[in-house]
Amino acid sequence: MTQTLPDSAATGAASPVVELRGVRHGFEGVQALRGVSFEVGAGEVVGLIGENGAGKSTLVKILTGVLQPDEGSLLLHGEPVRFASPRAARHAGIAAMYQEPLIFPDLSVAENIFVGRQPSRSVFVDWSAMQEQAHGFLRRLGIELDPKTPARDLSVAERQLVEIAKALSLGAQIVILDEPTAVLSAREVDRLLEIVRRLREHGITLLYITHRLDEVMQVTDRVVVLRDGEKVADVRTAETTMRDLVRSMVGQELAALEQKRRDAQPSEEVMLDARGLTRYGYFEDVSFQVRRGEILGVFGLVGAGRTEVAQALFGIDPIDAGSIVLDGRPFVPRSPRHAIRSGVAYLPENRLLNGLVAPLAIRLNMTMTIWSALARLGIVRERPIDRSVDDLARRVRLQRGSRRRPASTLSGGNQQKVVLSKWLATHPKVLILDEPTHGVDVGAKADVLRIVAEHATAGVAVVVISSELEEIKDLSDRVIVMQAGTVSGEFATPVDEDRVVAAAYGLQHETAETPT
Amino acid sequence: MSGFRHLLRWESGLAVLAVALFAFMASASSNFATSFTLQSLALNSTVIGFLALGVAPVIISGDIDISIAAMLGLCTIVMADVWHGGVNIWVAAVISMLLGCVLGFANGIFVVLLELPSLAITLGSMGAYTGIAFLILGGSAITGFPNSLVTLGTGLAPGTGIPWSTFVLLAAAAALAFLLHRTVVGRAIFAIGSNKQASRFSGLAVVRTKILVFVISGFMSGVAAVFYAGYFDTAQGGLGSEDLLPAITVVILGGVSAYGGTGTIPGVVLALFVLGILQTGLGVLGLSGQEQTIAVGLTLILALAVSAASRALRARLATAVPRVPSREAA
Amino acid sequence: MRRRLDSVLASVSRAPELGLIWILAAITIYAVAALPAFRTTSNADQILSNSTIIAILALAETMVLLTRQIDLSVGAILGLCAYVVGSAIGHVGGGPAVAIALSLGLGGVLGLGNALLVDLIRMPAIIATLATLSIYGGLQVVVTNGSQLYAYQLPHWVNALYSTHWGPLPAFAAVAVIFVVLLTIAVQLTRWGRDLYAMGSNPGAAAYAGLPVRRHTYEAFIACGALSGFAGLLYAAQYGNVDATAGNGIELTAIAAAVIGGVSLFGGAGSPLGAALGALLLIEIENILAIEKISIFAQELLQGLAIIASVAVYALVRRYAQVRARRRLRLKPVEPLPAAAIEPVPITVEGREASL
Repeated sequence: MTQTLPDSAATGAASPVVELRGVRHGFEGVQALRGVSFEVGAGEVVGLIGENGAGKSTLVKILTGVLQPDEGSLLLHGEPVRFASPRAARHAGIAAMYQEPLIFPDLSVAENIFVGRQPSRSVFVDWSAMQEQAHGFLRRLGIELDPKTPARDLSVAERQLVEIAKALSLGAQIVILDEPTAVLSAREVDRLLEIVRRLREHGITLLYITHRLDEVMQVTDRVVVLRDGEKVADVRTAETTMRDLVRSMVGQELAALEQKRRDAQPSEEVMLDARGLTRYGYFEDVSFQVRRGEILGVFGLVGAGRTEVAQALFGIDPIDAGSIVLDGRPFVPRSPRHAIRSGVAYLPENRLLNGLVAPLAIRLNMTMTIWSALARLGIVRERPIDRSVDDLARRVRLQRGSRRRPASTLSGGNQQKVVLSKWLATHPKVLILDEPTHGVDVGAKADVLRIVAEHATAGVAVVVISSELEEIKDLSDRVIVMQAGTVSGEFATPVDEDRVVAAAYGLQHETAETPT
Repeated sequence: MSGFRHLLRWESGLAVLAVALFAFMASASSNFATSFTLQSLALNSTVIGFLALGVAPVIISGDIDISIAAMLGLCTIVMADVWHGGVNIWVAAVISMLLGCVLGFANGIFVVLLELPSLAITLGSMGAYTGIAFLILGGSAITGFPNSLVTLGTGLAPGTGIPWSTFVLLAAAAALAFLLHRTVVGRAIFAIGSNKQASRFSGLAVVRTKILVFVISGFMSGVAAVFYAGYFDTAQGGLGSEDLLPAITVVILGGVSAYGGTGTIPGVVLALFVLGILQTGLGVLGLSGQEQTIAVGLTLILALAVSAASRALRARLATAVPRVPSREAA
Repeated sequence: MRRRLDSVLASVSRAPELGLIWILAAITIYAVAALPAFRTTSNADQILSNSTIIAILALAETMVLLTRQIDLSVGAILGLCAYVVGSAIGHVGGGPAVAIALSLGLGGVLGLGNALLVDLIRMPAIIATLATLSIYGGLQVVVTNGSQLYAYQLPHWVNALYSTHWGPLPAFAAVAVIFVVLLTIAVQLTRWGRDLYAMGSNPGAAAYAGLPVRRHTYEAFIACGALSGFAGLLYAAQYGNVDATAGNGIELTAIAAAVIGGVSLFGGAGSPLGAALGALLLIEIENILAIEKISIFAQELLQGLAIIASVAVYALVRRYAQVRARRRLRLKPVEPLPAAAIEPVPITVEGREASL
């Protein structure tokens, strides 16, 4: 199953810089990592890939000291280490970079790089030395950026570069890049990859986590594939292909979820007809249709633009071009309130930020969208609320317990049920769910998917955005795939997984002769 | 209501504090438990009470309004000026309340529509409103309001020994409590104070609601102005500025979180009572006005220290018995 | 045309003082041209001297505002210190050194009180300093005990300070200048000062980067208190009489000056120079209004409008500048490495080790 690793040719290093041995980590019944072992040598760029839920981010959290492994060990330069905190990990020379760079908007680029440890002469900041050194690090990475620029003026891509320069200046030996290119344009991606190469020249070890296989093929020396918390492949990049990688990631087994909708009878009536939707910088010329009683799956990688389209449909973000016809009438979403009134419901991807009001009681969260409807002359009536809550709770199989407790006391799966019931309460015509099973345990997952299927059967037009192929494959009647802001494929179920995945990764059309 | 049990704890604490203070003051001085002293207590608390009731929803919604005392001043002066010009006093009173709404609306426009920090904007409007008030009257004062108003401001309801103003204050508190705790708008105010983004995503009318709380704050200042004129029988530039502090103190003492999202009107009323007992009682005991103010400041610190300590204690206990909801594990 | 607008926006959002200097210059020019009474040296002296106390308080407030906090007790600290220090040196008879040390020290202690409330009891700064405002103000009344401090009780040098000149400048203005220079150096040129900006700009990232955030909170409040105490000494020098209400309400003028001067209430932006210029602008306007016999009551109105206007303008300018800057992609593509690889340069970092 796993290939053994030959010596890295990049440097002559004998012992690996980082090694994981049998690392396990679980949380509330979900095993995120089931004994993962691999090693990374100095000056190597190792790609870490896998589907959502495969265990990548847990792995990163262990490497950066946010989490500690339940079992197994972490070795640095051959010595076992245990990072009690992120600070300890940073001290040891591990730097991690995420999609959203952490910067100080009011300070300049140079100050951001040297925050807290500026070059100085006694107590005074040595400005020229700081500029020079900042410039030096930037130049060494091939970045042309004026260190005096206020960080506030930088784009996300530029901020990432500043973070990388900062890691370099801190003498980081191991740099972890977590989905760095999800929000970058093609030019910016090229620049980033070039900088990764330069970092390697400096003898820095890089762990490159991404969904974008083309980048993996371009810039990594080796690739480690995770699936369901296990390492399923550890190969040299030169000796593999993207198709092989895809197959390792997706695997041969089918999911245990059986949500086949045998009674599915989507009507011919089109509920939502989107044509040529465009928002500059986010998505372009997106067209699709959803019929009553149909479940449309929207597959794609992080950053493909799916959430942006959904939020635009819901009135959160503006649409620059295109048209929408909802239930036979033109629809220009002005605000979430307007969208809800028109019959659109949107379950957001980020539950804690946008979905739930955490300190508010469960019953209030569940009925937030219909407070006005349940009230009389604006006065809240408790009994209709309780009745709705009971009804909704039963339908979503919400865990027992007082509904007056704050929503924050629920587990992730139950929180998601609360958010879902809030939307079900509006009796929407179109229900858009954005990664509805993220951070949700298996049992709740099954419930959520069952409810979605039930509602479709009842005539709601459902759109499910998901990065989990298994889920979408079984649940949807049709699947569209988005890639880099455009629709790259449309498939009827049963879908050919290889082709769907190829469309998502932007691979050229592959003939569908791969055995399943 | 969110944190229902927690708030009950806070309010029970306040109630206990009120009773304890009352008992202490009564025993410390025979002059305390007299009807005269208690009536003074009630009357002195009126203006601050209205201001506190008005600003509480703003703070619950996640903002702040420090122009309440300035709005009080301007409304009183406009009312006095208009009355002095020949208008019926009660019409003038209505004008005061309407003006309060307008002033609050102005605050709301800047904070909500232009998305500017409420502390800065109300700091500015505080100066602006005070300045306008001064410009209207200059250095002079208007006194001698009609008996009807003075009776409202100082008189007692026949047979009860309770001042009229206290009845109105309690009625206003009841109305506001109803709004906050029993209506959709009130629920929205709490939700927005806890998580504005999620509220917006859930279709709540965030802009409308937030402007409304600023209008309420202005309106209450306008009402307070009527009672100010009735009680003090004078309107002069700069009036009321000393009431900002106590009003905010009452709100925070009443269990409203400075960060928004929690609080109750009964809590604010209880806190008003506690503060009244404290100040009046200390006054009877011979402490000067400023010494009373020191006590008020210390009470605020004590209340928050206790809440911080209990929160830390509860956190310590919670980690011993893990009940933390699962986070994303992938 | 658009490019010029962009660069103007960029420089104003980076350094609001620039915009303020223009406004100050414009107003001064108008006043010099239109008002004969404005043109005299004694008037100029008056403006400069009168703005000193506000300027020092604005500087004090800036220390705290930079870290995204606020101090509403500066007026109370000023009043309390004015009385205590004034009485002390009046009785004991001390020279400038003693007086300065005493005022800074007492103010610092009072500021420490604020810091303790914010750090240990975790009170939001606005509530904490609201509480100390009433406590310190109350203490001021208690201490004065019904009477007040009279000018004749103060040492002669104190009373004379207001009318003294050091070279061409009034002594007060010179003091203000000294403090502006000192604080500018401390806050914009030292590592300590840049830490404060970082704290205000992104508190989470600052803690994550290992900055000693708690220690800096104490330092900011103590510095603010010390400067307020010193302003108290100046108050005694300017007015001679110090009673129980000295300093009441002045905190809002101080905050107004800082805000107009470009110090952001969200932290991380602004400068001591800006705060001082804001104070100067406020006092100059007051002066002009007095000369034009416009009611002094218009003063507060204009101050209030100035705050609202400057907050709105700064915020909108920043937002707009950010949007326009983001639209431009300024980086050039990175050239691929030549065949001969770059020699890995040893990475050294001068200066102290990261306190991570």
